[in-house]
Amino acid sequence: MNWGNIAEASFSAFFGVNAMYFAIAAIGLNVQFGYAGLLNFGQAGFMASGAYGLGMTAHYFQISFWWGIAAGMGYAIVLGLLMGVPTLRLRADYLAIVTIAVAEVIRLVVRSVRFKHFFGGSDGINNFSGPYRDLNPYLESGRYPFSPLDADGPTAALIVVLFVALAIGSGVVVQRTVLARRFPTLSKWVGIGVVAVVAFGLLMLVSRSVEYTGYSLWTITVGWALVAVLALFVWALMRSPWGRVLKAIREDEDAVRSVGKSVYSYKMQALVIGGVIATFAGMMFSIERGSVQPDNYSRDVTFFVLTALVLGGAAKVSGSIVGPMLFWGILAFADVFLHQLLASRGGRLELLGLEIIGSESQIGQFQLMLVGVLLILLMVFRPQGMFGNRKEMALDGR
Amino acid sequence: MGLRISRAGRRTNDQGEVKDQVEVDGKSERVPVAGVAAQVLDASGALVGEGVTDDKGILLITVPGPADYTVVLDESTLPEGTVLTNQTPAERAVEEDGFRTSTITINYFTGASERVGVGFFEKLAQRSVDGTRLGLVLAMCAVGLSLIFGTTGLTNFAHGEMVTFGGMMAFLLNVSWGVTLWIGGPIVVILGGLFGLLLDTVLFAPLRRRGIGLVSQLVVTVGLSILFRNFFLSRFGGRVRELADFNGQKNITIGPVGITPRDLIAALISLGVLVGVALVLQKSRLGKATRAVSDNPELASTTGIDSQKIIRIVWFVGGALAALGGIFRGLDEGIGPDMGLDLLFLMFAGITLGGLGSPFGSLVGGFIVGLFVETSTLFGVPSELKKVPALVALVLILLLRPQGILGRRERIG
Repeated sequence: MNWGNIAEASFSAFFGVNAMYFAIAAIGLNVQFGYAGLLNFGQAGFMASGAYGLGMTAHYFQISFWWGIAAGMGYAIVLGLLMGVPTLRLRADYLAIVTIAVAEVIRLVVRSVRFKHFFGGSDGINNFSGPYRDLNPYLESGRYPFSPLDADGPTAALIVVLFVALAIGSGVVVQRTVLARRFPTLSKWVGIGVVAVVAFGLLMLVSRSVEYTGYSLWTITVGWALVAVLALFVWALMRSPWGRVLKAIREDEDAVRSVGKSVYSYKMQALVIGGVIATFAGMMFSIERGSVQPDNYSRDVTFFVLTALVLGGAAKVSGSIVGPMLFWGILAFADVFLHQLLASRGGRLELLGLEIIGSESQIGQFQLMLVGVLLILLMVFRPQGMFGNRKEMALDGR
Repeated sequence: MGLRISRAGRRTNDQGEVKDQVEVDGKSERVPVAGVAAQVLDASGALVGEGVTDDKGILLITVPGPADYTVVLDESTLPEGTVLTNQTPAERAVEEDGFRTSTITINYFTGASERVGVGFFEKLAQRSVDGTRLGLVLAMCAVGLSLIFGTTGLTNFAHGEMVTFGGMMAFLLNVSWGVTLWIGGPIVVILGGLFGLLLDTVLFAPLRRRGIGLVSQLVVTVGLSILFRNFFLSRFGGRVRELADFNGQKNITIGPVGITPRDLIAALISLGVLVGVALVLQKSRLGKATRAVSDNPELASTTGIDSQKIIRIVWFVGGALAALGGIFRGLDEGIGPDMGLDLLFLMFAGITLGGLGSPFGSLVGGFIVGLFVETSTLFGVPSELKKVPALVALVLILLLRPQGILGRRERIG
């Protein structure tokens, strides 16, 4: 069992591109689901609007890239209105049904042969990320180490700051969840401190063997910067009077109506804002790949973003960032771990005589089954996720 | 009819294969045709492989790897009096990203060459029959969903997987173990019921007792959906496969319409079951108790009705009906891990149309949606986008009359 490989893969995934664009989508979903209590099961549709808006504008209309971003946001607004107008006055279930249906229809339409001329069918749209690549200060095919010890000056400083923040963050989490119960007499600061030091040490150790290509690193830089900006935006928004009304709606709609606020209008705004944020996720994802493909925006993606959000903790901005990182870290861990386990057991995994995994290709599905189980366990035992607050849960509303 | 390329799984394999299956048409007729020649060319037009279909109508060509290929069928080798249908021209393209599993299946459908210029009303009649069949299956699956919602308030996003469960069990019994469907069918239905009962007893009843909210339970059903779908995918594989019984039947022609004996019997059984369910709900004590619990569980228990028992029965019946729907759907369109999920969205459309929480509404709604979906192709909707009109109808209904046809205004929030 090559733990080095496993740790390296998990670490890479933790900070990698997938976690990044999931984090953006999760921040958006958080506004809708965590703060406003709206059941948006069509997040993939918003992501697709962003990606296709960008791709189509840049590719077909040959207009600048930046207009494509505006176009994507425009589509998201239209989509949010389309989904919200019929359903926001009704039960939450109706929104769930309509969003899942609309997202699926979007996927069918952009994938269809009939509209291949506009959307590129199942090939999608390619070759539009030129301007983005031109802005890359790193050498595209160069390999960049991610450790502060190997990287140069300013990058190293940034990484150290990042690691310290993560270490303290994990210290806080572990302290609150585990140490407070097991060692109640232990001082809070000592607990946080010890865990932070250990975490920092681990991060430094593992990062020594991690490298990213120049292209990935550029995406990581831009992407996580975008995550930070959006997170800050949402955090500020939720502390504003607008945010307070939204949280009040989640708790008790009728009380909010009784003081004269339009619940419908606030919900619609939350849906649209969350959707526009999600379009950035679609855009980042497609820019990084240089292509927009319909099958990347399936209903599975929506549910995985939901799982990642619930894992981190809905209704907390930090939850929407850490959740996706953990989600992908866990998936990468499981992937490499299972591959190695399978190889060492000669290609088959058995438990009590029953074959669990018969071949390598089944590992992917096994991982996804684990995602389903994870979601169930989370909802049953810890719906507030890692960072969430039980009292703030929208989920017990009805 | 229409192009059927299997895509499934999430890994590409380096050994791609292209499989041609020439089958004689009629939507329900599937007679394999042997001795038809086809070739596979690569992107530059060079020959990669060729061959002739065997007596199962299958030709398997191995290609060096995932890439774009063209498959060309030699029409002169088709049997006398048959031609390829318009939707499956002789030359077909295979795309590189279609190689999600190692095999891509290209189906060619042929038809009698005299059947040219079928009139609009004939087509309408045929599509209406097809739509009715789909509608009956949808109604059967949707009734369970509606009853579960009515009695517990839970929107079960895993209901599609209960349909797929039925299909999978039917495959296991019929194909893997060789049991005839006349015996296997009822067994599968009971298994489906037990599956539903198990879900309630083990998962949802304890959650209800714990006071876990409905939205949380809804998300749990989403998790179940992911779990089961991937379980089926890993065990069954991504390809759609046929059941062993009742294949290769010829159409019976009733006026302008053709239908196989299998589909006719399936439709009649579905109709009978639906009528039976409706009668039980309307006339029997159990039915009355169920409707009472659907309406107001607390009030119902004050009259001595055991709400929890009714809920268990509802889960059992819902699961059983879904499994039966899965069998019929599987007979028609083949068994695959996504078969139930494909129907889920249509089921929701049907229930919303008919009225969320009203079991009769789901019968009516499911039926209408099925009809709508199949006949929409006559009005210019391409086959791959058949489901889109159902969505449009869903949105319109929610705008104009959110409680659906038979629902009640108080339920919509």
